[in-house]
Amino acid sequence: MEDRTPGVYRCVGPDGSLYSAAVKDVWITGIGLVTALGPDRETTWRRLVAGESGIRALTLFDPAGFRTSIAAQVDDAALPAVDLPRHASRATRFALIAAAEALADAGLPADGDSRPWALAMGGGAAGLFETEGFIARRLRRGRQARGLTEFLELLQDTPTDRLAARFGLGGPRLTVTTACSSSTLSVGMAAEMISDGLAPVALAGGADAICRLTYTGFNSLRAVDLSPCRPFDRSRQGLTVGEGAAVLVLEDADHARARGATAYARVLGYGATNDAFHMTQPEPSGEAWARTILAALADARIGPPDVDYVNAHGTATEQNDAAECAAYQRVLGERLARVPVSSVKGALGHCLCGAGGIEAAITSLAIARQTVPPTVGFAEPDPACPVDPVPGGGRPHVVKHAISSSFAFGGNSGVLVLGSCR
Amino acid sequence: MTTRPVFVCSAGAVTAAGTGVESLAAALEDPVWDAPVGLERPDGPPLPVAACRDFSPRNVLPPLVARRLDRPARLLAVAAREALAALGDPLPWDRTQVGITAGTWNAGTSALVDVLRAVFLTSPEEAPPAQFPSTVANAPASQLGILERLGGPNLTFAEKQASGLRAVVEAGRLLAHGRAAAALACGVDEGDWLNAEGYARLGVLVNPPGRVGMRLGEGAVALSLAPEPVGTPLARLAGWASAGSASEPWLYPDRPDALVSACLRALEAAGRAPSDVDLVLSLANGIPYLGGLELAALEGVLGDHRPAVLSTNERLGEAGFASLLRVAVAALAIAGRARPAWAPAPHLAAMGYPPVTTRPRTALVTALAGGGSCLATVLTTA
Repeated sequence: MEDRTPGVYRCVGPDGSLYSAAVKDVWITGIGLVTALGPDRETTWRRLVAGESGIRALTLFDPAGFRTSIAAQVDDAALPAVDLPRHASRATRFALIAAAEALADAGLPADGDSRPWALAMGGGAAGLFETEGFIARRLRRGRQARGLTEFLELLQDTPTDRLAARFGLGGPRLTVTTACSSSTLSVGMAAEMISDGLAPVALAGGADAICRLTYTGFNSLRAVDLSPCRPFDRSRQGLTVGEGAAVLVLEDADHARARGATAYARVLGYGATNDAFHMTQPEPSGEAWARTILAALADARIGPPDVDYVNAHGTATEQNDAAECAAYQRVLGERLARVPVSSVKGALGHCLCGAGGIEAAITSLAIARQTVPPTVGFAEPDPACPVDPVPGGGRPHVVKHAISSSFAFGGNSGVLVLGSCR
Repeated sequence: MTTRPVFVCSAGAVTAAGTGVESLAAALEDPVWDAPVGLERPDGPPLPVAACRDFSPRNVLPPLVARRLDRPARLLAVAAREALAALGDPLPWDRTQVGITAGTWNAGTSALVDVLRAVFLTSPEEAPPAQFPSTVANAPASQLGILERLGGPNLTFAEKQASGLRAVVEAGRLLAHGRAAAALACGVDEGDWLNAEGYARLGVLVNPPGRVGMRLGEGAVALSLAPEPVGTPLARLAGWASAGSASEPWLYPDRPDALVSACLRALEAAGRAPSDVDLVLSLANGIPYLGGLELAALEGVLGDHRPAVLSTNERLGEAGFASLLRVAVAALAIAGRARPAWAPAPHLAAMGYPPVTTRPRTALVTALAGGGSCLATVLTTA
């Protein structure tokens, strides 16, 4: 199929009606990352393609009483200095650092006032780690327990509001909260806002920080591996909780060209569907997730034969990886053997509402550098996961089109399609 | 951007006025109706929340289904079933092509407290695994998707007071882009003591009664939206826009510019002039600062024009779903399904904004979240 180009298209909606859709080319011109592998984009990428892991002993709180004691925790001491607002949570700090890096990378000024740029972020635990201190006192000591400031960043959209205030963003602003697909969808929706002409530039991505609630939750569901997670591996036993942030600068290509900017990749489209199956279990046949992938490819106006790389959700739970591979099998057929399918969660952990943004950033770098990242932790193939997970380290590979998948709690699935600008 | 029309085909609601749109309409038509207020909390006096005290899913959801849902999911499921029932059985669309957009301020908070109670008071190993999935804010919309087998996009938005209106706007965008054949735009919030106590500690709740401040709300609203009318639609979603201004996440912005901009662009998208507006659903929630900000915004949008104004937050409570509730009320009024008799907030009445006396044709519904995100929608006759 032909790659999509900007213009006005006659489209057929799912109800059969015809309508016109203007399509603007949306470039990714800046990337900022904060992960367990490093406090910035280049450190994260370098260590990732070297096959290193950011999973280590959890130090954020005492893991006594939990099944596991490891996490892909960000090294706070390594983070660059940033002028933090009062009462800022770790999640906000991650988001501010990633956004500052992304803007600098794009060559756009950090300062501004009511700039008509859009902002779309995936919202996760936000300041819950900090709020947990108040909740613990409140539950133990009753209403007399003091506390207010720890409460101020509890809401999921707080990091989004902080970014808008810090960088002077006055355009449309939204916070998607669909668990693990939040920031995949935020990138897709931000690109759509640019494509619709609602903003020339958008910041998009997500941030999430480890807290006792999520650590407890996955422990209680018996969904965690006692060792660092091993996506697609035959002996995988679950995920490793992670944290971090990614912010991507998305830009109308005409706007970017006019100022001489270059791009990592293009956002070609996204798909969003609901499994309508179970709150925590994936639909095992892969049919539901195949529908999401096909919706994304249709939105991007490319077909399965055009996919060169898959950045998988790859949580390393037995059910997720098998269902996900079944979905890729349905979509890619026998080509699946030749299309690398890797999961960065083996190195970065599952960053929950920040995961999709981080993976979109990594996928963009893979396209720009024609190198696919490895699945760290993978050792032994699983017949239930008949994919090439790129074991070991990064691998040179021609990537013109790639997909980045996120399949969340509640069946809220999202898939991005990114393409090369070359 | 496409110009496909979007119709509000049906509505469902659970509010402090009761279960069902008819209960809401009856309350709106009683000029002195007010919600019962008071939410119990551990070791403290009740908090000012207009809660759905008599809510029961019994007549709508089978007991085995209701048992596996937490309160926000039950509230939303009951509201959505009312909206879906009005569309006929089977639905006019393939269920895999029906999307859900939801807005919430605090869904999941009660489940969160339950899990953390185990962590802090006993042991992490005692945490109830079944509760964890309900701690995510998208749980009510996800549960609704599972319950009704709706396989289209399922998106939840967290934008504090503006969450519900965001759900409407993004449902409109899904339809405009052909990502769904129809969508349920939903809003849901539970009355939970932790969230309410946080706002009480901020000093913004009307406590003790008689002082200025807001009451929080509990409830759920669902609107079915489609690009083609089904049955007799309530209204048409003719235009929408959003913008943002910078402020601390828990404060309103210091100027109305972004709200004015959103309103003017929504009217332009709807092909309507400010003078066409004959109903404004007010933001007023009992906080004087917001009242002043809204007055300035209305002056910036409407000039000397004085359409009817209806304030619902002060009685039914401020919440994430409240902005969607305002859309529902506007649609019901436009359709003649409700004849609101509630007076505008005093500060609006003092500036010459009259109550609703005739059936409106063009309504402006706005939302403004702490942190500064603004949305505006324009509803017209279908």
